Amino acid sequence: MDELLLSKVRLGVVAELLNYDWVTFSELARSLDVSNGNLGAHMSKLVEADYVEEDKSFVNRRPLTRYRLTKRGRDAFATHVSQLQSLLKAAT
Amino acid sequence: MERIDAVQARDHIEMVERILAQTQPRLCAGGEFFVVWGVASAFVTVIAKLVSQGILAGIWLWTIPIVLCAGALFSIVRGRQLRKTVTRTSLVQREFFNVLWLTLGLAFIVNVAVYNIFSGIAAAAIWSVAEAIVLLNIGMHGNRRAQVAGVLVVASLVAANFASTGVNAYVLAAGMLAGYGGFGLSELLARD
Repeated sequence: MDELLLSKVRLGVVAELLNYDWVTFSELARSLDVSNGNLGAHMSKLVEADYVEEDKSFVNRRPLTRYRLTKRGRDAFATHVSQLQSLLKAAT
Repeated sequence: MERIDAVQARDHIEMVERILAQTQPRLCAGGEFFVVWGVASAFVTVIAKLVSQGILAGIWLWTIPIVLCAGALFSIVRGRQLRKTVTRTSLVQREFFNVLWLTLGLAFIVNVAVYNIFSGIAAAAIWSVAEAIVLLNIGMHGNRRAQVAGVLVVASLVAANFASTGVNAYVLAAGMLAGYGGFGLSELLARD
């Protein structure tokens, strides 16, 4: 199992990014219903592991951070979900 | 090392399925591009026709590059604005814009470089075909308004083909305006 994706929030982030090119930090926090601080810590780990790519910019002098899934993150997600399904199958 | 049991695994898979079901990407969020290019292409077609008929002086042809440049400038600036402000940019949308720019780029090259090979309104017809390709491509992804608009543009091409040389350009322009511009307008009105 991928240790990084055992966290429900991090797995949720990767699932949120799966169908999208870029998603903003605020949209992820809203969609997953987590606090900015909590999400920030999880995002740092995903960026460090090169599962997601971070893009920081300024729009109307306000910081805008957005993320997208890397190939490594996409592959890790596919493997992890497949392992979860195998675990479920073995349990039933 | 963290462990996960079957109950947690089920919970995680259900969350993933719920998120994937909720995040089905919506194609086409940029109605304004269609309005601008629908109006610009119709304008170019009508101006070229009026000049060729002698109704307008040749100097009016200078408005064509100005309008095309203004449309291109708007598209670039608005595209950059949207990239910075939209909260989600879907992969499908990225693919769609790739097709859009490729198709319009090819049409523009044909228009500029192959204009003199054809006679009559071939250049305008090429633009119309390009617009139909874009609309029908969106339509293929399930957008019913784009399907109707694409059929409208194709119908205007067929109608223009059989219309007299005096009116064929206007028929094409009507298709561009109603099909391409109309679709953009309907997208803008439907935007939530």
